[in-house]
Amino acid sequence: MSKESQTSLMNRFFRITRKLPGSRPVISTLVALQIVFLMLPTIVVFVVSFQPGDIVRFPPDGLSLQWYYELPDESRYISALWRSVLVATFCMLLSIPIGILAALGLIRYDIRFEKAFQLYFLLPFTVPLVVSGVILLIIFGEMGVIGNLWTVGLALTIINIPFMIWSVTSRVNALDSELENAAKNLGADEIQTFFNVTFPSIMPGVVTGALIMFVLGLNEFIVSLIITTPDIVTLPVLIYTSIRTNISPLIAAVASVYVIVAFLAVIVADRLVGLDELLQS
Amino acid sequence: MTSNTISNRLERLKWRLMDKTIELKQRLPQEIYQSPPSWWGYLLILPGILLVSFLFVGMGILTYYSFLTFDSIEFIIYEFTLENWRSFLTTDAYYFIFFRTIGLSLFITILAVGLALPYAYLTIRVRSSLLRKLLLISIFVPFFTGVIVRAYGWLIILGQNGLVNSFFGIFGLGPYRLIGTEIGVIIGLLQIMIPFAIIMIAPAVQNIDRAMELAASNLGANPFQTFYHIVIPLAKPGIAGGTIVVFTITAATYAVPALIGGGRVDFIANVIYRSLFDLSNYPLAATFSVALVIVASIFVLGIFQTLGSGTLGVDTGDSHE
Repeated sequence: MSKESQTSLMNRFFRITRKLPGSRPVISTLVALQIVFLMLPTIVVFVVSFQPGDIVRFPPDGLSLQWYYELPDESRYISALWRSVLVATFCMLLSIPIGILAALGLIRYDIRFEKAFQLYFLLPFTVPLVVSGVILLIIFGEMGVIGNLWTVGLALTIINIPFMIWSVTSRVNALDSELENAAKNLGADEIQTFFNVTFPSIMPGVVTGALIMFVLGLNEFIVSLIITTPDIVTLPVLIYTSIRTNISPLIAAVASVYVIVAFLAVIVADRLVGLDELLQS
Repeated sequence: MTSNTISNRLERLKWRLMDKTIELKQRLPQEIYQSPPSWWGYLLILPGILLVSFLFVGMGILTYYSFLTFDSIEFIIYEFTLENWRSFLTTDAYYFIFFRTIGLSLFITILAVGLALPYAYLTIRVRSSLLRKLLLISIFVPFFTGVIVRAYGWLIILGQNGLVNSFFGIFGLGPYRLIGTEIGVIIGLLQIMIPFAIIMIAPAVQNIDRAMELAASNLGANPFQTFYHIVIPLAKPGIAGGTIVVFTITAATYAVPALIGGGRVDFIANVIYRSLFDLSNYPLAATFSVALVIVASIFVLGIFQTLGSGTLGVDTGDSHE
């Protein structure tokens, strides 16, 4: 085959592949399979919650709201859900001021051993969660505070705080410090500058961080499993102990709360800061 | 009209508050807010430092506990011993679980990072915004659904009458036992780890200059060559970050081995939990925990050495490296 005909053939080939979705057929197929793989468990749980009768079957042999009608009577699950919401809210509210202060302190001020402090703030990520659970069980045990709900909230704040610091840090980094200087030059003092310039521009980072803290708090499992006592179990722990014995569609209906929350969180994040932004932080 | 006056009043209130704070601040001695900025900086990070100190101090306590004596009646005797470490290092069953944890974690890390690379790449480069949204939703919905709910989903999918076995049933195959096997655990963990890997890799892909890829294909590289020679090397910081995050999380995983593994594919975390609550042997649990941290740290340092700190290193904007 001559060189010219070869190139024209290649050109034609590329013209065709460009019309395929994404113009990268192999990668596209691989990624399409991954989308199915990633979404499958979530969708299956949601679908099974509409299964009539006691036996979990997939695909289901009918659709009914039977289990959702029974949900309000299941006080165990309702109170566990309520506790999870409380714990997640506590953890979110506590992390907002701490995260903002830490991010500003690290970036805006000359701190000696800054690298060391950064590594220190990554500690909750580097210590495996199960080990954090053991540590907090020992410390909270010595302090005699095991069995309180706020202890669980504090524990979740400790293990997830890097998410907050991270997402605020990325915003403080993006903020041009000349803007703050301009505000000060125009006569604003530190407090005015903070509330009118600094705070609004790091707000998206705070919102992203708060959202992540809330949803992770709602979902947290292993540390909660270790440090909760039977009368303050959170919902993930209760679901775990329930599915160890049987996997009735009732639990699917309970678990669907998480599916709905996950979708809502994604929609909220998309509206507020954009999902692309979430990927950046 | 009323809403207008309310917002007016709110605005006025806001200004009055602001004036008051400034006035208050001006009454303070000058040095407080004109003192060296570093002083302020330490104060700002103090709450965060205190919060994390639970873990920092806790690691010390844990190491201390690992040298204490276990007693079946008193539980802990404050007497130093090397017994916990000796039993950890000489018991075959513990050894086996340790190596399984590390081996499976390595395997899952390679698969997850390998699968996340094309996913992250397509998410960043795809032109259609609708498609990008679909890709992003498929990362974040599972990420926000939580481990337990997803493990529950896998129990339904992989079970005897589950989706997978119904599919094989069409061809007269199976049913295969997947619950309680390593394959089941790998599937479950992979699904949890891929979103983490994508989240770590995507920022690095974002930083790749598109012109590099265009140049490569102009010079005659096909899409594979471009991906292999341009995208992968330039995404290295993301790959490093993803590898570290996926490995450390996988090595410490509890829920998936407990639920999908059904007690047959235990990881270290399951042994730690059992020594805490079934044996009440805190010193032994502490020993396993310290050992897990040591192994994870060695791995992380190894990755730092070979691939660099990658997207994990917090960029403060003023570090010149």
